Amino acid sequence: MNSALHWSTAAPPSWARRWRQRLWRVAPVDRAPVVLRHRRIYILPTRRGLALIATLSIMLLTSMNYALSLGHALTFLVTGLFAAALLQTWRNLAGIAVSPLAAGEAFAGGAITFTLSLANAGAPRYGIAVSTREGPAVSIDLPAGATRPVQVTLIAPRRGRVALGRVTLSTDYALGLWRGWAYVHFPLAGIAYPAPQSPPPPLPPGLEGSDARRSARAADAELAGLRDYHPGDALNRIAWKAVARGAGWYTKQFEGSGGGGTLQFNWAELPQNLDPEARLSRLCAWTLAAEREARSFGLNLPGTDLPPGSGAGHRRTALTALALFPTGPAS
Amino acid sequence: MILAPDTAAPLARPQLAWLAALVLLAQLPLWPYLPLWVAAAGSGLTAARLLLPADRLPSPRLRRWLLPVLALAVAIGVRWHYGYLLARDPCVAYLYVLVGIKYLEAKGARDGGVLVCLALFLTLTQYFYAQSITAAAVTLPVVLVLGGVLASLRTAPGANSGVRAPLIATARMLAQGIPLAALLFIVFPRLAGPLWSAPMSAGARTGLSETMAPGTISELSLSDAVAFRVDFSGPPPAPALRYWRGPVLSRFDGLNWSALSLPSSGEFTAATSRSIEYTVTMEPNNRPWLFALEQATSLPRPAWDEALTSASSGRVLARLTYDRRLLANVPVAQAIRYTQRSALGDRFAAAGNFETRDNLQLPRKNPRTVAFARELRGRSASDRAYIAAVLDWFHNEPFVYTLAPPPLAGDGVDEFLFDTRRGFCEHYASAFVVLLRAAGIPARVVTGYQGGEINPTGGYMIVRDSDAHAWAEALLDGSWQRLDPTAAVAPSRIEGGLGAALPQGEPVPYLARLDMTWLKNLQLHWDAVNYQWQRGVVGFNVQRQQDVLRDLGLDGAKPWQIVALVATLALGWGLAILALARRRHSRLDPALASWTRLGRRLARAGLPRRPTEGPLHYAQRAAARWPQWGAVLYRIGENYAQLRYGPRDARREELLSSLRSSLASLPGARTLRGSAREST
Repeated sequence: MNSALHWSTAAPPSWARRWRQRLWRVAPVDRAPVVLRHRRIYILPTRRGLALIATLSIMLLTSMNYALSLGHALTFLVTGLFAAALLQTWRNLAGIAVSPLAAGEAFAGGAITFTLSLANAGAPRYGIAVSTREGPAVSIDLPAGATRPVQVTLIAPRRGRVALGRVTLSTDYALGLWRGWAYVHFPLAGIAYPAPQSPPPPLPPGLEGSDARRSARAADAELAGLRDYHPGDALNRIAWKAVARGAGWYTKQFEGSGGGGTLQFNWAELPQNLDPEARLSRLCAWTLAAEREARSFGLNLPGTDLPPGSGAGHRRTALTALALFPTGPAS
Repeated sequence: MILAPDTAAPLARPQLAWLAALVLLAQLPLWPYLPLWVAAAGSGLTAARLLLPADRLPSPRLRRWLLPVLALAVAIGVRWHYGYLLARDPCVAYLYVLVGIKYLEAKGARDGGVLVCLALFLTLTQYFYAQSITAAAVTLPVVLVLGGVLASLRTAPGANSGVRAPLIATARMLAQGIPLAALLFIVFPRLAGPLWSAPMSAGARTGLSETMAPGTISELSLSDAVAFRVDFSGPPPAPALRYWRGPVLSRFDGLNWSALSLPSSGEFTAATSRSIEYTVTMEPNNRPWLFALEQATSLPRPAWDEALTSASSGRVLARLTYDRRLLANVPVAQAIRYTQRSALGDRFAAAGNFETRDNLQLPRKNPRTVAFARELRGRSASDRAYIAAVLDWFHNEPFVYTLAPPPLAGDGVDEFLFDTRRGFCEHYASAFVVLLRAAGIPARVVTGYQGGEINPTGGYMIVRDSDAHAWAEALLDGSWQRLDPTAAVAPSRIEGGLGAALPQGEPVPYLARLDMTWLKNLQLHWDAVNYQWQRGVVGFNVQRQQDVLRDLGLDGAKPWQIVALVATLALGWGLAILALARRRHSRLDPALASWTRLGRRLARAGLPRRPTEGPLHYAQRAAARWPQWGAVLYRIGENYAQLRYGPRDARREELLSSLRSSLASLPGARTLRGSAREST
């Protein structure tokens, strides 16, 4: 698949590109929902299926040689079973509608969770394995008419956007003799924040107020208000009461009333001998510490200036800015 | 949501149980054909692994070197038992035990896959020995369990989906596969001869042999086994004319008769009476002769289409020797079916003068018989008068026709004729021929079958081993004349069969008795079914295949045309199965089927349902897009929501019909796309 991606840079003729896209779904251009149909579903015998084919061939040769009529009958009966198993495998995959639901975030080196939704309008499906280009496959059963979320994870190697990439849905239901699979490639990407520096460095001095007040705890924070819920918001910040009332999904925002003064994290003020990634790591660790202590902070990066603020949304904005900070021209 | 199963995990208990069921079911039908120790070892190993707790079994490390040693020991044992290893029977025996050994050492799902293949092939090997309806019937459970094994092997080791569900699923797939299997069975090319000539093991040889000692035929007569079945193209001949000629015995050592070795070919003589035509289906007996009514006027030809006139094949199955035996090209190891023509008659021209010499030989034994013969011949005017006198003597003296004669030794014929006077047909035929030869008349013993029973169910004749018979032939005036001394002693044997001729209290085989009990009736019905099975399924060979293809109008088709036809039919089969499955599913949940149809139609019109969207929301969104159909769309959404989430009461039918009619009143996707209002 990587090699397939590399080819695309060589600008092959358009028909070849079209066919490669159709066969291998190399580009993330699928639009939700993708309903698995014959154009996407591939089926080949499994290793066990191939062994059975070999056995059936030997049985056929034996039956022919010894003119065993019942031998022919047995061979063809199992061949019929084998063929019917192919249809079962195909039916188990065909008609499933796949949609992207959410892409998670993580720190570099951690696992990003992507959530897909599998909708089954037809008969029950069994043992649908969903796998990414790496990481373990997860297997799921879909009852008739059910829609189920499936979560797959990818290890984020470094900060930045992490594309989900091509997802393979496969199944060897009912007899394990055939493996049917289909590719879906959504433009879905999660975000990997820089790995926070460890152990966490001490916070820089605040803009105002004294260090003594910095010990204020998050518990002292006051509810500042509600804002619209965004996927990925911390569960303990969701206004569950509002959800229960049916008023909609909101996320609670806290203002660090008793917290220390506003902090300002400046790229430029970091020691000059730190390389850019180490700087981002430290800024990330500071952001987390500030958030943990419910203090408001501002972030200043070359090209980005985030005014002071607090809360999950602010934290996310800051971390995203760090994650997407361009590597090259920064230093 | 679970992680996909790990294929390297050790086999779990349910998987082992499934595999054991498969292995034992595959082994079971072979038990009667294997040496006892092989049968016990193969199945014992399987049972041991299944029944013993894991900690009582040898450790895996011990097993790793123990099992190859065991396999080698079994190979030596099989070699010792059969005398050779690389032939069919020892290979079957070895495979049988090997499956047990493999089961004992099976560790993961991969070993399970190997076992499946081995067990499947082992199942096939039973057809070397029997292709009966019973053999087919015991195969079906094997295939069902095969599905169960495969289903259990692909699941996670911890999961146990029970026994019923996988069996039902497999049965359904088998039923789906049967049309394809039948198609392949009919059109897949059959071979006229073997691809390779494997060393054939000598199967159990049954039926008549080329030697006859006192007791040979009476022993055979105790069996109800079917020797062959006959379809007559006209009315069957009268019982007294049903002489089925088999081995002809000319050599005599004083007690035993044997056939001349490798006699040269003979020629048919002109038929003296009208020929009758019939088709014989012989059970395998591993003997090299075919049977025909006296006297054969044609060589047996492979039977198909019931037509001897079919000129398409000059193939014959046997040659005629000058003593009028039909010697098959190969021993009859499988049921064969041949068409034969005969002119009913009891005489035919001799091949030449050399036959006189062959058929006068007598050992210097049985002095009383020789003296009696010379004395009686001296009193008779001619050979014919002498023969009549001998037959009269048999008829008038107190000879007894019995299945249990006293044993004879030394001058057996003397003892029989003058002391014991109790014997079966072989005693009478033997003594009679000795009496003729002693009087200078060339004569010989003919063995075969006499009689046959018409099965009213199928309208064909069954000839059983209990109809085995021996009679005599004398060379008179250049012609061989059939003479049956048994007819002089027990005339009812010839007219009514064994059951009519034997005295009360003799152990007549059940089916040879005269009383038609319901059980015998049932047996005849079963035989008719078996016969059809034999003809239609087991006997489905090159000829019958051509026959069927001709009936289908495909006899002139080129191979690629047949392949194309099969491919088309297979494709049609797949589409039909998928369509049937879809219909079955929509019958299961009609509301969901309608809702899915709506979703598909609106998606084609440009408004796919979002994965998280409920019916009411979706209907609302659709109604906003197509206000002119808003009411209908709302109704569909509400009906479906009611059906899916509402109470299961009597209103469901009403809701369902409303849902369906609303869906029917909605225009197609193309119209909808054309009339969509631009909105968000």
